[in-house]
This record gives sequence, structure tokens and C-alpha cells, in this order.
Amino acid sequence: MKALDNLSFNVYPGEILGLVGESGAGKSMTGLAILGLIEAPLSISRGKIIFNRQRIEQNANAVRGSKISMIFQDPLVSLNPLRTIGEQLVETIRTHIKFGRKEAIEYAKSLLEEVGIEQERFDAYPHTFSGGMRQRVVIALALAPKPSLVIADEPTTALDVSVQAQILELLKKLCRERETSIILITHDMGVIAETTDRVAVLYSGTLAEIGRTVEVLNNPQHPYTKGLIEATPRIDANSLNSKLYQIPGVMPDLKEIPVGCPFHKRCPQYIKKCVEIKPPLLNERAACWLLDTENGIL
Amino acid sequence: MSFLLVNQLSRIFDLSEPWILRKIKGQQKKLLKAVDKVNFSIERGQTYALVGESGSGKSTIAMMVAGLIKPSSGFITIDGYNFFSPTIENNIKSSLRKSVQMIFQSPYASLNPRWRVGDVLKEPIKAFNLIESENGQKRRVCELLEQVGLSERDINKFPHEFSGGQRQRICIARSLASEPKLIICDEPTSALDVSVQAQVLNLLKDLQKQFSLTYLFISHDLAVVSTMANRIGVLKQGILVEEASPNKLFEKPEHDYTKMLLTAAPDIKNVSKIP
Ligand SMILES: Nc1ncnc2c1ncn2[C@@H]1O[C@H](COP(=O)(O)OP(=O)(O)OP(=O)(O)O)[C@@H](O)[C@H]1O
Ligand SMILES: Nc1ncnc2c1ncn2[C@@H]1O[C@H](COP(=O)(O)OP(=O)(O)OP(=O)(O)O)[C@@H](O)[C@H]1O
Ligand SMILES: [Mg+2]
Ligand SMILES: [Mg+2]
Repeated sequence: MKALDNLSFNVYPGEILGLVGESGAGKSMTGLAILGLIEAPLSISRGKIIFNRQRIEQNANAVRGSKISMIFQDPLVSLNPLRTIGEQLVETIRTHIKFGRKEAIEYAKSLLEEVGIEQERFDAYPHTFSGGMRQRVVIALALAPKPSLVIADEPTTALDVSVQAQILELLKKLCRERETSIILITHDMGVIAETTDRVAVLYSGTLAEIGRTVEVLNNPQHPYTKGLIEATPRIDANSLNSKLYQIPGVMPDLKEIPVGCPFHKRCPQYIKKCVEIKPPLLNERAACWLLDTENGIL
Repeated sequence: MSFLLVNQLSRIFDLSEPWILRKIKGQQKKLLKAVDKVNFSIERGQTYALVGESGSGKSTIAMMVAGLIKPSSGFITIDGYNFFSPTIENNIKSSLRKSVQMIFQSPYASLNPRWRVGDVLKEPIKAFNLIESENGQKRRVCELLEQVGLSERDINKFPHEFSGGQRQRICIARSLASEPKLIICDEPTSALDVSVQAQVLNLLKDLQKQFSLTYLFISHDLAVVSTMANRIGVLKQGILVEEASPNKLFEKPEHDYTKMLLTAAPDIKNVSKIP
């Protein structure tokens, strides 16, 4: 079974790339692969992951630990309830950077400041923090090794909208100020719209479309992207009397991904070729035969 | 008269430790006003949405309207009857039970994994003594499945054989079994993908038209609410801080909290703001 199939994309320095798609599309799996966290029985059977000109797909080496960090949906996964956030920060810092204890404490406090937590809370335990504050601490932990890439897997899904807005703002600020790249995994098209520079739309483990967020959302090329955008409710007083667009059917199970384009069974525009051959990424934008005008398909 | 009337509704939770511990530690009683003097009403066939952040009291109101927990003060009338009135007759109480149903956020947690879909849907039919004969029950189950876009073939399947959206359809079918007049939807699509969410929201709209259902629709997602509600109430820490039509609320919100929610809500429309 292939959870990811022939997936290719780049992340540029200092950008936020959104990974969006329905549940089971392979977003988390992509993140785990980059982090070297794919465990048996799963494996990376083919393909390369190149980070700073180095191949990293087969070895979970030191490059990742300090240069690529991860933020998960549930901050409690990353925090030890029995130790103060200060201790946890200092420990993380000292495993990655050759700092003395005092230096590490200074740096830990500056990190807390950077994510908007008062330094007085240095000796506090995680349970005394709200969900949003915990996620800030997790971000501070992720930033501690000065990573050049942060993978954030649904970092705000469990949070209230007000807190979500603050955390996303924080990620944007860090991206600008530190020139860190971020891969932001989400299923929320609104979050994609407001936070990311570029977006990759995943479907059944393959890339359906990729491009600048403004272009993809304003002028989607893949029928799946179009469907996702139209199915997303908007804050609009006039939407009450109309129905939402429905993409027919559901994303197939890994065991039942059809031959040809994985989306063709739900696609309102499929042609014969879609049933037979899986489309490659065309025009560096979308994996859809409808874009293949040169070969006279249309 | 409004179909649902909620009047000065309050619910206090007692969070204090047992009396003896409190005496030893010299602590006061800790009371939480989860719902505080809330008023609203819904006309028959309309949808009223409650929005607000986590802990604002949305589900607590839902549970009181469903008759599952008792108000601390204030009252609720449905079709003119107050479920918690001490003088209410038993037959009215049981007809209220039939006419108010609830759909929850997690369609998996609310379905017994060991029950086949047919049994899930037969349960309310039997519990309310709606249809006597085996055959009649089976026919009704098939009818319900069809109404929510599933098929007769699904009758012997277990919940785990369905996708999240299909499971939510099963829950909706179950809630329809007793021919309810009011359905309380507590975050019915929060656990679903956008594509599936659209299917479920559209289904709820169709059913509303078909059966003149009244909805109390609970969500933290203003975009979802804007596609469903005729009126919207904004809850903050148990208090209804603003109530308006979607037009008014989205164009001219009055309360700061509403304005904050509107600014914070991620909206796909906002993409053009990015350079
Ligand atoms: N350990 C595993 N063994 C086998 N299959 C797996 C394993 N983990 C994930 N999968 C499958 O791989 C596919 C991709 O899963 P993944 O978790 O990446 O999805 P996702 O896009 O992150 O979805 P979600 O939005 O629900 O988090 C899914 O079909 C999933 O069932
Ligand atoms: N049985 C209970 N005992 C004590 N406190 C409770 C109980 N049920 C709810 N509460 C408290 O009442 C408040 C309102 O909770 P409620 O579940 O109604 O919020 P909500 O608006 O539905 O939030 P969410 O969006 O997270 O579902 C919260 O502070 C909650 O902790
Ligand atoms: Mg995931
Ligand atoms: Mg709730």
C-alpha cells in the first residue's frame, strides 16, 4: 500500500508552505517523512528528501534534530507535565547548542519573550497554562535549536479562534524575523488563505496542485482544488439561502485508490485519459490532464 | 408563540471540594455560572445558532433544551410546554422526549460500535413504541436510511465500516426516527472535512425543508453558522452578549467580543489581503 505516491515539492527559505487536503490525504505522513520519523512497517521505498543540499531520506541524523523541528496539534504530547517549562527549555537548548547553564537560561527566557510568555512564568508547570500558552511554549521548544525548517502539523486545530489567530500571527512573525521556513499542515482553507505564501493540495497521497496561495485560491487549476474552495463556507449573510457546493463521494481508502487520476471518480470534468493514466504535474501547477492542451486532448 | 422559548436560563455548576475538605482547608464554595440569564426564542422551521468559544456554555444550553440537565433557574418551553415543570403530565413529557432530538460532534462516540446500523435505527422506534411489527420497523429503517442519503444495503453494516460523514448521516437518521420537531445540533460537522461538511450541512437544510424542522445549531465556526442560521446568538462566559440576524451581525456587529470573533475567524475570502 502506498500512503504517498511520487510526491514532489520544494520549500524555499523564509516561506510558509501550506499542506492542505482531506483527512487521510497524507499530510502528516509527509511531515513525518521529512522528520525521519517513518517507522516500520512503513518505509520510504523510493524518492529523495534533500535538505540544505544533503540527502536525508534514509538516515535520521543530527541534521534534522537541530535544523528541522516539529510542532504537533496537541501541546501536551511535547511537554512533560512533571517538569517546569524552564527546565524543559534549558534541556532542549543544551542538547542542541553548546551553552553553559547560565547562557541557556538566558536564551530560554528570550525565547519565552519571543513567543509572548512572560519570563516570570519560567518556573511554572505546563498544567498552569492555558491551551494557547502551552502551544506557545511548544513553539519556543521547537525554535530553541534555531531550526531552518519548522513543520507544524495542525498546530491550532484544538484552539479557540482568538488563540488560533494569535498563534498563526506568531508563526508568521517568526518566519519573517528569523527567516525560518514553515510547513503548515492544516485542513482549514481559511487558515491557508490567511497564513501561507504557497500551498500544496494533497489528494490520496499525491500532489493535486501547488502554487502561490493567492493564485491557487483565486484561480484553482485542479477540479479538486476548485471543489474544496467552493465547499468551504464563507462568512457572508447571503449564503443562508444557497447551498454549499458538494464534491460528490469521499476520498478513497488507500486500498481502493483507482487507476489513472486518483480523483477521477469524483471529478465533474474527467475525460477518458483520466481513467487510464495518472496525470503528472503539468505547467508546474496541477496534476490534471485538463491542463494538457498541447497534446490536443481537449 | 415561538416554538422554543428560553427565558432567563441559568445553570450553575458546583466545583467545590466535598464539605469536610472545604472546612479543613477553610475554603469557600466554588461555583461556576456556566449559563447566566440567557434569553432567546426560535420560530418553527427556523434555525437559531449559538456561537462562542470553548467553555462559553453552548453545550450546557443544548443539554438543558434537550431535557438532559436541569436549569438552576429560568425556564424553557417547547411548543408551550416546560419539560421541567413539576406539574407536567407524563404523556406530555414523553411526547416532548420524542419531539426533541440531538446530534453530537463525534459521530463515532455516539454510535455503539457493536450495533449494526439497522439496530441503531430500530432502537428509538422500539423505545418510543412507534411501530409494533418487525416488518414495519424494517420498512421505517430503510426509509430513514434513504432520507439521509444511505441505502438499504447498509442496514447490516457496523459503524466502523462507514466514513465520518456517513456516520454522521446515521446519527441524523437516528434522530429523525421519532419524527422530531426540534433537533439540537451540537457542532455536527466540527470533526468532518470541508467536502463532507458541505454534504452534511446541505442534508440538514434539505431535511429542515422536508419536515419543517426547527434547529438549535451550535458551532464555534462563524462561516458554518452563516450558511445555516436565521438568527445568531453570541455567547461569552455564559452570557448572551449579542443577538442578531446574520446580516446585522456580520455587517454591523455591536459587541467587542463579536467583533473579535469576526476578525479572528479564518476566512478563505481573506486571501487577497496577502501581498
Ligand atoms: N502506521 C500506519 N500504517 C498504515 N497506514 C497508515 C499509518 N499511518 C497512516 N496511515 C495511512 O496513511 C494515510 C495518510 O495518513 P496521514 O496521517 O498522513 O493523513 P493526514 O492527511 O495527516 O490526515 P488527517 O487530516 O486526518 O491528520 C492514511 O490513509 C492513513 O490511514
Ligand atoms: N458537568 C459539569 N460539571 C462542572 N462544570 C461543567 C460541567 N459541564 C460543563 N461545565 C463547565 O461549564 C462551562 C461551559 O461548558 P460547555 O460545555 O457548555 O461549553 P461549550 O461552549 O460547549 O464549549 P466547547 O466549545 O468547548 O464545547 C465550562 O467552563 C465547563 O467547564
Ligand atoms: Mg494528520
Ligand atoms: Mg460544547
